[in-house]
Amino acid sequence: MSNPSTPAPAPSPAPLAIELRDVVKVYEGGVRALDGVDLAIEEGEFVAITGPSGCGKSTLLHLVAALDTPTSGTVRVSGQDLNHIHDISRFRREQVGLVFQLHNLLPQVSVRANIEVAMFGSRRSARSRRDRALELVQEMDLGGREDRLPTRLSGGERQRVAIARALANEPRLLLADEPTGNLDAASVERMLGVFDQLHETGVTMLLVTHDHSVAKAAQRTVYMRDGRIAESVDAR
Amino acid sequence: MSFLEFAFWNIWSRKARSLGLVLAIAFAVMTVVTLAVTSSGLEQSAAAIISIGKADFTVAQKGAADLLASTIDQGELTRLQQVPGVGRTVGVLVETENLGAATPVFIEIGIAPSDLAPFGVTILAGHAYGATATDQVLVGWRAASTFHLHVGSRFHANGTWNTVTGIYSTGNSFGDSGAMFPLPAIQGYNRVPGIVTMVFVKDAKGVAAATVAHRIDVNMPELTTIRTASQFGRADRNLVYLKAAVTGSTVLAVLIGAVIVGNTMLLSVFERTRELGLLRAIGWTRRRMVALLLGENLALALLGAIIGVVLAFVVTSGLEQLPALKGVLHANYTSGAFGRALYTAMGMTLIGGLYPATRAALLSPLRALSYE
Repeated sequence: MSNPSTPAPAPSPAPLAIELRDVVKVYEGGVRALDGVDLAIEEGEFVAITGPSGCGKSTLLHLVAALDTPTSGTVRVSGQDLNHIHDISRFRREQVGLVFQLHNLLPQVSVRANIEVAMFGSRRSARSRRDRALELVQEMDLGGREDRLPTRLSGGERQRVAIARALANEPRLLLADEPTGNLDAASVERMLGVFDQLHETGVTMLLVTHDHSVAKAAQRTVYMRDGRIAESVDAR
Repeated sequence: MSFLEFAFWNIWSRKARSLGLVLAIAFAVMTVVTLAVTSSGLEQSAAAIISIGKADFTVAQKGAADLLASTIDQGELTRLQQVPGVGRTVGVLVETENLGAATPVFIEIGIAPSDLAPFGVTILAGHAYGATATDQVLVGWRAASTFHLHVGSRFHANGTWNTVTGIYSTGNSFGDSGAMFPLPAIQGYNRVPGIVTMVFVKDAKGVAAATVAHRIDVNMPELTTIRTASQFGRADRNLVYLKAAVTGSTVLAVLIGAVIVGNTMLLSVFERTRELGLLRAIGWTRRRMVALLLGENLALALLGAIIGVVLAFVVTSGLEQLPALKGVLHANYTSGAFGRALYTAMGMTLIGGLYPATRAALLSPLRALSYE
C-alpha cells in the first residue's frame, strides 16, 4: 500500500534512441550546417524532421548514421557516443538502417541480392541471408519480384527494396532521407503505410522530409531553420 | 548470394571493361611465357650437350661466351687425369653446322674412337671410324633417319664427303641427332689442332663427384666443372645473359601490365563511386571493399593467365615454324613457365590494383554517395 503523503514516483522516461547535444557542423568553406542542435528521441518514437532546403536536416541525419562527424558536440545512438565508437562499419551494419531518396540500389544484381549485400559481414550463413531477404521481399509486398533487376521495377517498388535492405540486419533505428522524394502520390501513400507498420513493431524512425504531408505521418515533427531546431510538435 | 557470386555479377555486368582487362593481362602473360619457354628450350638444348657423355661431370673453359666457344688445350687432359679422384677423362670437340633449312643446327662431335664406349656411345650398326681418318663418320640414329643414311652412305658434313661407317645411339636425343668424327679430322677442319671444347670426367670408384669437381675448381682455376644444368652458366655466359634478359622482360611486363590494370581499375572505381559509397554506408568494412575489388581483378587475372598461356603456345608454335628459327627454337613447357604466367598475372593485378582498391576503401561514403 502506498503512503498517501508521499508523491507517486514519476514514470521513468523511455531510454533514448538518439541524443544530440550542442551539435555543430561546419563544412569546408565555412558553411555552418548545424549550429548548436540539441535533440532527444526516445526508443520506438517516429520523428520527422522538416524544414526548408539547406536548413541542416540531412546533415543531422548523416551524423546520426555515422556517415559524417560533428565539428563539435556529441551524438549518441542507443547510448553510444559516435565520436568514440570502435567499429563504425559494424555500427552502420547492425544498429541503423538507411533509406535514401535515390534508393541507391545496385543495378547489376537482383532484388534479393540487393537485400543480401547488406548482410555480408553479419554472422548469417548464405542460406540464412537468402531466407531473410525473401522474408523481407514478402513483407514489402514484392513477392515474385525477388529475381528481377532493379531497373525492371517501378519507383515505389525500388524504394521498398531499399527499405527491405535497410531492415535486413533488423536494426532498432531506421533513418530515411527524403524517402518519398521521387514517388507519385499512390506510392507515397503505400510508403507511409510501410512506415506505420514498422513503427508498430517498435523500430525507432527518423524521417527527413521537406513534404509536410509526409511529416504529418510521424508522432513528432521537428522543424529546423538555419541549422537550428526551431520547433518540435507532437503531430498526433 | 555468396560474396563470390556477387563479385562474379560485378564482373559480368561490366563485360567490356572486364574483357579489356583480361586481354591486357593475357598479352603480358603471353610475352612472359613465350620468352620463358623459348629461353628454357635454348637452355635445355645447350645443357643437352653436357648430357651426351655418360660422365659424372663435365669440365669446360671458365667464363666462355657460350659452351661451344670453350677451348681447352689437350695438354690439360693430362693435368686433369692427375687430380686425385679422377678416373677417366674424355676430351671432345663440339661444333655445329648448318645443313640447310631443315637442319640449321647440326651437332658434330670430334672424339677418339677409343673413347666412344667410355663416352656412352653404342654402335647399333657398322663399326667405328679410324682414329686418323679424314672422310669417315658415325651418325646418330635420329640423324640417319632424318637424312636417310645407312652404313656405307655418303654424307657431306665437316667440309667434305664422308662415308658412314656406323650408326650410333647415346640415349640422348640431342646427341643422336648429330654425327661423330675422328677428333683430328674435326680439329683440322675447324683449324683448332690440339683443342677440345670440353672434357667428360668419370670419378675413380668410391670418390664423390662433388669432391673431385671441387678439387678441379681449386687446382685449375681456368676451368670450371658442371655437374647440373643449373651450373651451366659457369661455362656459358650467353645463357646467363639470356636468362637475365628474360627476368628483366618479365619484370618490365609486370610493371607495364600493372600500370594498365591500375588505370583500368582506377577508372572502374571512379565509375562505381556511388556503389562503393553505398556499400560503405550500409556497413561494409574497408577490408571487405579491398577484398571485393582485388578479388574481382584476381579472378580476371586468372582468366587472363589461362588465355595468355594458350596464346603463348600458339605464338611459340608459329615462331618454331619460321624459316629463320626452325631447328633453333625449341619451346620447353616447364611447370616453371606456367608458374611464371600465374605470378605475372597475379603480380600485375596486386601491384596495379592495390592503389585503386585502397582509394576505394578510404572513400567517404557521404562524398561517394553524392558523386555525380
